[in-house]
Amino acid sequence: MTMRGTSWRTAASALYAVLVYGFIFLPVVVLVLFSFQDGRFPIPPFEGFSLRWYEAVLADSRLMEALANSIVVAVGSSLVAVLLGFLAAYGLARFALPAKGVQRALLTAPLTVSYLIIGMGLLITFNFIGFPKSLLAAGIGHVVINLPLCFAIIYSQMGDHQANIEKAARDLGASEWQVITLVTAPMLWPALFAAFFLSMTFSWDEFIISFLLTRFDVTLPVEIWSLLRSGLNPKTNAVGSLVFGISAVLVVVLELVVLRKGRRA
Amino acid sequence: MAARGQRFDLGPWGFVAPALLWTAAFFVAPFVVMAVVSLWERIGTDLVASWSFANYLKFFERGHFLEAMLNSLEVTVIVTVTSILLAYPFAWIIAEKVPPRLQRMALVLAILPFWTSYVVRSYSWLLVLANNGIINETLLSIGLIAEPLDLANSRTATVIGFVHFFVMLLTLTIYANLVQLSPNYRKAAADLGAGPLSTFWFVVLPLTLPGIMVGAFLTFVLCIGDYITPQVLGGNNELLMPQVIMLQIGRRADFPTASALAILLMIVVTIAYLGFARWIRLERA
Amino acid sequence: MNTAIKRLKLTGAVALSSLLAGVAAMPAANATEELNALVWCDHTDPALIEPFEKKFDVKVNLKEYEGTGSALAIVEQSQPGDWDVFVIDGVDVPRAIDADLLAPLPADELPLDDIFPELRLESSLMRDGKLYAVSEKFGYNTVSFNKTKVDAADMKDMTVLWSDAYKGRIAVYDYYLPVIGMVAVGLGKKTSELTADDLPEIKETLFKIKDNAKLVGEVVSSQTAIATGEVDILVGGGEWVTAGLSADKPELDWILPDQGGVRWSQSIGVFKDSKRKELATEFVKYIVSPEGQARLATSSCYWAMPANAKAGAELTDQQKAALRWDDQEAYLKNAQMYPAPDAELDAAMQDLWTEFLQH
Repeated sequence: MTMRGTSWRTAASALYAVLVYGFIFLPVVVLVLFSFQDGRFPIPPFEGFSLRWYEAVLADSRLMEALANSIVVAVGSSLVAVLLGFLAAYGLARFALPAKGVQRALLTAPLTVSYLIIGMGLLITFNFIGFPKSLLAAGIGHVVINLPLCFAIIYSQMGDHQANIEKAARDLGASEWQVITLVTAPMLWPALFAAFFLSMTFSWDEFIISFLLTRFDVTLPVEIWSLLRSGLNPKTNAVGSLVFGISAVLVVVLELVVLRKGRRA
Repeated sequence: MAARGQRFDLGPWGFVAPALLWTAAFFVAPFVVMAVVSLWERIGTDLVASWSFANYLKFFERGHFLEAMLNSLEVTVIVTVTSILLAYPFAWIIAEKVPPRLQRMALVLAILPFWTSYVVRSYSWLLVLANNGIINETLLSIGLIAEPLDLANSRTATVIGFVHFFVMLLTLTIYANLVQLSPNYRKAAADLGAGPLSTFWFVVLPLTLPGIMVGAFLTFVLCIGDYITPQVLGGNNELLMPQVIMLQIGRRADFPTASALAILLMIVVTIAYLGFARWIRLERA
Repeated sequence: MNTAIKRLKLTGAVALSSLLAGVAAMPAANATEELNALVWCDHTDPALIEPFEKKFDVKVNLKEYEGTGSALAIVEQSQPGDWDVFVIDGVDVPRAIDADLLAPLPADELPLDDIFPELRLESSLMRDGKLYAVSEKFGYNTVSFNKTKVDAADMKDMTVLWSDAYKGRIAVYDYYLPVIGMVAVGLGKKTSELTADDLPEIKETLFKIKDNAKLVGEVVSSQTAIATGEVDILVGGGEWVTAGLSADKPELDWILPDQGGVRWSQSIGVFKDSKRKELATEFVKYIVSPEGQARLATSSCYWAMPANAKAGAELTDQQKAALRWDDQEAYLKNAQMYPAPDAELDAAMQDLWTEFLQH
């Protein structure tokens, strides 16, 4: 009786998990499948296997430029966000500063505001001061949305345990600069890395801020958006599948590397 | 380095200041600019500093603005609730039923589609849900339906597109909560004679509620401000707030009206935050 | 400690600024000469732009916009001299001349005599004997449909769109000016004489269409819907939707109803504040040349008729058939121009359109 109850529950759980996995992967499978469509429309019926849309993507210089732009913006804005977030977390966790609560609230406030509103505010402000639309403008916006995340992640990992080690280092004559670069940062390495990786992910896929703040040099999501606006095309599937393929490989590799590190430690 | 005396120096500010200044310059200041501009008006092609609440009044006077806000709220609430109901059991299965050494893989697998481009993912749903898309073709071929279902270009499509994204996000946050639970709680409950269902209801669920609420709030904020999903999947059969705001910017460069609408949207999010706040604070404590 | 922090701040500042500078400098690194053009999306096709870029060793930066209102706003928010080339709706050229945005073009260097007579638009494109823009492409906002599912004879009467006959099988193109203009034509109004008083009747009719409509979409969602059989009729469509698909989807067709339709036309000019006027003029000359015209007519975003009649020699028969090259004479006669509202009426029309979407 108990046995049957358990196996029934396990079967139901398995079925549920399969259904949810199915739901999660459905659009991806369709996307990838029809990127190989040998015809003009990425819809059933599947007319045969072809790589022509991948060739078209690789030959599209604007898409490739947008890809490069996206990488620059993602890496650049994430580095800045991690650096600023780390410094702020260190300052707030290790020193007695007035109004800490207010400072923390201010630093995390952008998390509660929609990207659209953040982008629009920057657009209007940049218009007023005559700061041109550019990748730099979009990168600034990405730091705004990622700084709170980086700060929160790193701040949450700053425990008393590290504070004691930092204190020991200071007692041994280390300067503040040495403490931060040789003691704190290495100890917080997993948090810093997680913050950087998360920032990269968000920046890489962010659309609306980049859409509002760029002009000629656009990021990949913005270029894909204009590709979409210009007509139905398996090329969109191909570029989506490429992005997915590259990101998935990256995620899996990171996962393996991080896992291994975790096991060794 | 007996630093106690130096703590009121400018010193420590050197660490915090860059982040604070960045936030002040690129988050707070633009918000102030937006608030100011929302009191101006766009007349013809000119920006006129008229210092009036005309743009806010417009929101209440014109049915289609108000309706957009209501649509946004409805869609956001439906999406948030559906996503939690779908994600919770899923996260629970990963945390409880999957062998521990496979859990990370199960989780990574569950959020892998997160790394397809967001824009492409929405478009992909359009192809899945179309009249001769994969869902309708399958249902037709197994004879479950006689006529294709109208799924694409509707609120249903928008909700499906959103739920897809947020199920991934919430599975992650709820899973993180579930694995943090000490098994001692459950053992204690079992020792006291509680069955699996009442253990879940009276012990596990309350303990994970704060985590759920944090996820729910995140879902709320991201969903209510998103432009892509409703624009690609909704077929313009109804407009949500971000679409109305983008219409003001893209088609007519009416920044004053767009600013006023954005600020109203922010007020709604703030109210929602206050509603969620006790849970979010609970988690910190 | 203070020195340490100072050093830290300094290093941080240096790292930050060099990073930002790097980001800012990157796109400029590989550029030779650049030309900035504000365009509709059909000009972004590399097949159209690359031949010009190669010939003049120049990089053409393209920014697409949707609607003259937003184009003028983009210009307004830019620094003088940011822009070189402007592609703008023919009916809106007077607005651009009024705003003192355009420079006169060398009329004698342009193939004006080869332009279809209806597209010369002297009253819009010329002022005080000077030419400020030249027509480059035109087409119709009418009705596209799937001829295997819809009776073509039905489509000759526009009023069928707001009867119940095709309820749930209609998509509407999401751009306010042509669709409002088209409905006005269907109601027997003249697009050139529209006033705020006409809007209530247009609104009522639009709402009826919305009740029949499955979706209101931009280019790709309308195309997807009609190509996948989601809908059978596209209001506001025309050759620009179906012609590009004609090779793969021969069942898609378009027609000008008996009431007529709306004709749109794009024209191209050079900005008065451009710092590269000569190169910009070369670009205009390229676009209106027969080769440029043929590429523009069949560019990836949308197909439509070239304004230069000589472009016919560069197009294939299949392309010409899809564009209805031979019907143009009759069509040109039965089509009215895009509405060209003043700013106030424009705002009213956009509000009307938002209500229509929300209906």
